[in-house]
Amino acid sequence: MGEFVVHRVRFFDYMPSAIRAMAFNGSMQRLAVARGDGAVEIFNFADNYFQEKVIPGRSDRAIEALCWVRGRLFSAGLSGEIIEYDLEKLRPRYSVEAYGGPIWTISCNSQETLLGVGCEDGTVKMFEILEEGIQFQRNLDRQKGRIISLSWHPSGAQIAAGMIDMIRIFDAETGHATHRLLVERGLGTTRNTEVVVWSVAFLSNDTVISGDSAGKVQIWDAVTGTLIRSHLITKWDVLGLSVSQDESSVIAGTSEGTVVQFQALASTMGQENNQWVRTRTFKNHTHDVRALVHTDTAVVSGGMDTQLVVRPLLDKVEKNTKESALRKILFPHKSLVCCAKKAGLLLFQFPDHLELWRLGESSAKGQAGDRLPVMKNPEKLLQLQNKGEDHICCSAVSPCGSWVAFSTVSSVRLYKLQLSNGNISIKKVSKLPKELHSVHQLCFSSDSSRLFASSAQASVVVASLDQLQCKHLHTLKPKSGSSQPIHLLSASENGNWLAAAHTDGQIHVFNLHKLKLHCTLPVYSSCPTAIAIHPTTGHLLSAHADQQIFEFSLKLKEYTAWSRSLQREGLHPLWLQRDTPITHIAFNRNKPAHVFLHDAFMFCIIDQSLPLPQARKKLYNQMDLKTISPQKRIQESHAFKICKMFQHLLSVDLLDDSSLVVVERPLADIVSQLPPPVRQKKFAT
Amino acid sequence: MTSQHGIMVKSKRGTTTASPKKSANTEITSETLCQGLESSDDDAPEEVTFGDSKNEALRSLKLALDSAKREKELLKEKRRKRQELFQEQKKRKLLPAEVLEEIESASLKKVKESSAAEEDEAEETKSLMKRREKKRAEKHTRNLEGNYTVTTMKGGAAVSFQQKSAEDFLQSRLYGPGRLRTTNNQMLSLQNKRGSQKSAAVQFVKKDWGKLQTQSIKSMFWVFLKCSCGIFLIMENKCEDNYAQNLTSEYFFIQIVLNQTKHAKKE
Repeated sequence: MGEFVVHRVRFFDYMPSAIRAMAFNGSMQRLAVARGDGAVEIFNFADNYFQEKVIPGRSDRAIEALCWVRGRLFSAGLSGEIIEYDLEKLRPRYSVEAYGGPIWTISCNSQETLLGVGCEDGTVKMFEILEEGIQFQRNLDRQKGRIISLSWHPSGAQIAAGMIDMIRIFDAETGHATHRLLVERGLGTTRNTEVVVWSVAFLSNDTVISGDSAGKVQIWDAVTGTLIRSHLITKWDVLGLSVSQDESSVIAGTSEGTVVQFQALASTMGQENNQWVRTRTFKNHTHDVRALVHTDTAVVSGGMDTQLVVRPLLDKVEKNTKESALRKILFPHKSLVCCAKKAGLLLFQFPDHLELWRLGESSAKGQAGDRLPVMKNPEKLLQLQNKGEDHICCSAVSPCGSWVAFSTVSSVRLYKLQLSNGNISIKKVSKLPKELHSVHQLCFSSDSSRLFASSAQASVVVASLDQLQCKHLHTLKPKSGSSQPIHLLSASENGNWLAAAHTDGQIHVFNLHKLKLHCTLPVYSSCPTAIAIHPTTGHLLSAHADQQIFEFSLKLKEYTAWSRSLQREGLHPLWLQRDTPITHIAFNRNKPAHVFLHDAFMFCIIDQSLPLPQARKKLYNQMDLKTISPQKRIQESHAFKICKMFQHLLSVDLLDDSSLVVVERPLADIVSQLPPPVRQKKFAT
Repeated sequence: MTSQHGIMVKSKRGTTTASPKKSANTEITSETLCQGLESSDDDAPEEVTFGDSKNEALRSLKLALDSAKREKELLKEKRRKRQELFQEQKKRKLLPAEVLEEIESASLKKVKESSAAEEDEAEETKSLMKRREKKRAEKHTRNLEGNYTVTTMKGGAAVSFQQKSAEDFLQSRLYGPGRLRTTNNQMLSLQNKRGSQKSAAVQFVKKDWGKLQTQSIKSMFWVFLKCSCGIFLIMENKCEDNYAQNLTSEYFFIQIVLNQTKHAKKE
């Protein structure tokens, strides 16, 4: 196969942020996740849980709750504002001040006409949902104490509000509080501290279920205002509750990291006396579980350990299939590392700054198992801090390392670098073309003369780079403008083609010499996760969220023979069962038949000249091939060479000198920097 | 005998009743008693006319009322004097009226739109905005009489007081005292202890045990390995501390072994 010099990079201090709130839209099968830094991510549950869209956060935005209303997404936070997001332009559409102080919760009634927010000053404010925005309607009776959680009765006539030490039930018509349910404080020393009702759920049979900071899940009768049953599930707080669509199952998330399920079961078969019985406990988190969603088939939880866990319920899905597997989403499905191939530089994207590093060097060669000295350590060349509160949306560095660009929702910045003999100088390009706004993807051409930026309405802006100037050349527009944003941009190495992929699955290829659309690939049902154009053959390779790989010939405007044979024979089942998407595709100049792909747990070299793996044979056969004789090796080897030595991978790229750069982020490094977990006493420790 | 006895008793009584707190009536009666004693036993008691006693009673009442009134007036006087003193002090404390006026007008021009977390603040800013629209293009600082300067706040407090207090509430409820939290290091050590494969700790408690902190794993590690898919030449960075080097090599060795066993498990 060949020898590779591998730069194993572990100095990217990527730190994901905690999950604060989640909301699921059943009709669109989309999950919206709000993070601690104000970012909102949209996951497509129908497409292998792919992270479709990311709306970057702001340093002063602290989101406490999310709510879907038809296809619109609203969030409310401690800044006191209700924000509606534009999911096509990936930015907030507008924000409305609630004038009630910090907002703790937001909830929509089942008729989807009114939005209720619970505020710090003790008021529940009603907003009417209009076509173009929301409008304040009225306040319900003001209470003494902050409103922490809200839940509408399915009929829309009553609202349950969880406060401190009590739950209030309001009549939505008159606005008066009808019932006051007093929540018991904890036992022992916790009797002195007030109990906070972190979440409530109002069911259609007039029962209210509440989870509080004393670790209890209580079931109340809303008609009489009395407690029916109390379950103590943890010593710490019950931070979230979620009810299934058919109201037969309720899940509660705790500070310990467990998710407890309660189901309404009759005590004897056939009888109608349904009682809430604690059934399952899921221990999928190490830190607090702050956000929960109960979908029809799965329990989705997220919390302070930054992992999104989808646990399908085994009584709703078939056992031992891909559907029933536990899914953990740890890393973003978009690459945060950009590699300058000619210069050997790495650009790391953080929410508020960028870091540019130069890779180290070693001239010695050795044999297997040797440890070689490094002549030059990797050094951090530059840290570019972003001014302003918005977080960085995307960034890029040119292959020669002389241009660095990044964009936020409000602005684009371009810098010219000069590296000479250990000195680095940087100059900001001040006048950028005004067509460069709302940019979600940036890409430099391989000769660093052009900058490609995705812009509004699916168009791509081509700008020329020259000394210290950036001039607008052309705006490439596809024929039928897709409304969805562009999330992938890839330019070919010879400067002929530019490929742009949208989140709805469309991939457009533009001819850069004629500056017009060349062709549009047939739309595949799954969203593309990585695209790249081969330098010599001119084929476009695309990897999709359902782990399919396609190769399209740009000259002939049809799928290549290799791609057709791959579809005919099908990919190996173990390949299709992988749960992280391919985020980058690279090629080797010296070996045109090789394709480098990677996901979070493995990187793979596909040799297109070798036969494809058959379903009954082993996919991960590298270790086996090492042990057998060279003649047999030729018979047994197949096209997919997978290496799992490096984990967890954030980026794998091939430099121009044929050395591999592998950027890893060990999970232990992330876990050691998280907020403190609860102290649990385990037997024999 | 009884008379002598009576005299003794009566004299005693006479002495005890000489205190001024006793009411006029008893005084009078004791006086008359004493007088009676001095004269003789056989005399009839003195005649006190109805009118006299009535006058006495009225007089005593009046005296009592007068004394009460006097006390009240004294208190009032005291209070009034104190109030005046306070007013005086306050007047001394406040700045002269002209300076106050000037400052007020200057601050009205200069106050920018705040984050408007409170309703009255919002109203105020609305009125201020109107005033600001009328007066534009002013300098941002202004010197007044004396040593006062009025300037605008740069950027403003991004996080308002209410937001900060809400965040503090959340922080104290989850991570405050008495919430029984531990460190991530402890949790990872426990996981390590109970796991099937033990390995080195993620973070050493004693920091001088070969700088194996997360910051130090920024160095590159290059290891030369041979697999059938190619010979991977991964060069290892030389750590300054030999101990750390040995530890890190161990860590990678274990990791590679783990991967192999993982392979074995999967296939």
